[in-house]
Amino acid sequence: MSSPEPQTAAGTEVIACHECDALHRVGQLAPGATARCHVCGATLARNPKGGLERPIALHTTALILLLLANTFPFLTLEIGGRQEITTIFGASKALYNAGMGELAVVVYLTSILAPALMISSSLYVLLAVRFRKALPAVRLLLSWTGQLEPWVMLDVFMLGVLVAFVKLGNMATMHTGVSLYAFVLLILVLAAASSSFDAQLLWRRLGIPERHKHAS
Amino acid sequence: MRARDAGLASCHTCGMLLHLPASGHTHCLRCKTPMHMRKPKSVSQSWAFLIAAMIAYLPANLYPVMTVVSFGKAQSDTIMSGVIYLLLHGDWPLALIVFVASVLVPLLKMVALLYLLITVQRKSHLRNQQRTRLYRVVELVGRWSMVDIFVVALLAALVNVGAVATIEPGPGAIAFTSVVILTIFAAQSFDPRLIWDYPGDINDSTEPTR
Repeated sequence: MSSPEPQTAAGTEVIACHECDALHRVGQLAPGATARCHVCGATLARNPKGGLERPIALHTTALILLLLANTFPFLTLEIGGRQEITTIFGASKALYNAGMGELAVVVYLTSILAPALMISSSLYVLLAVRFRKALPAVRLLLSWTGQLEPWVMLDVFMLGVLVAFVKLGNMATMHTGVSLYAFVLLILVLAAASSSFDAQLLWRRLGIPERHKHAS
Repeated sequence: MRARDAGLASCHTCGMLLHLPASGHTHCLRCKTPMHMRKPKSVSQSWAFLIAAMIAYLPANLYPVMTVVSFGKAQSDTIMSGVIYLLLHGDWPLALIVFVASVLVPLLKMVALLYLLITVQRKSHLRNQQRTRLYRVVELVGRWSMVDIFVVALLAALVNVGAVATIEPGPGAIAFTSVVILTIFAAQSFDPRLIWDYPGDINDSTEPTR
């Protein structure tokens, strides 16, 4: 049976670098401090400022902005006296209509589903830890946040919007919708939210489940 | 000292350090993820994704990613001709960003992974720090290549005015997305800690060199 690495001095923890496997003793970090690996320079541990309250506030704001960004028109195009209004979802719908279902799924995942799941599962875990409630699936959702991260491509999508703007500029008139402003704000808030959120810190707060402690 | 030298393994998901039993199989006490000294089959999986990405790279650049049909005239754009269009009709800073994101990044990413895989299989111990840093950059920048796919999706959604103009995604878009996704998988399967491993390590998980 495996056993957890015993804690050394109070507040000190042994951490292995996830990029080069070097062992480190990391003490209690000051708020805002980051511990880096002395061998390869990777981030070992962080202690973001603002405790649990700041990430909760930022993730809540991000969730509201995400809903707004997906509710209202995103861009409107005027061409030949006709108006074409699109939403963020419209981008993946257009691919689906063109017979490219696979592509539609990828665009839907990276522009809507992955961000929505990542923000809401982070918020769920943060609230469970903050209010010390034993909510179901907390550990599962916390492991999701890390796996979803590479598939959240809102900033890349925004660059795509800029390019589309330039490409259509001399062909038609473009109008920005409410959603576009919400989307830009969402990208900024999400960046702040992610930097105030540290999954490892939350794992430490959750600790080893009770039934396991008795077993070993 | 490395965790491996102490018989310790760290969890991929939550970072917990555990003594790995001789069988090499256990689950993390904290998050239930299966634990391994190194990502299992890291090198062969990464090779598989990388080779698949390199194969998809050709159609991704040769086939059009979109076709503009305007007043009965059709004009197809590949990734590269899209960049040239931006350079001629848009502004050069944007053209440069798109060139870096959709031409340079996928190419350099594949070359970097190729280099990392070959040096790991040869158990090279040259420039370990730089190679680890290279891996970090590769993991970070890969997603930006998706920009062209979002452009095609947005244009297809916006320009759909029947006889006047329609924009349709082309087969190159699927191949290009495959390149981006396959290289993300290739980078995710690669375990950078292999760079720091020695040939005689206990429960060595790298496959023998061909």
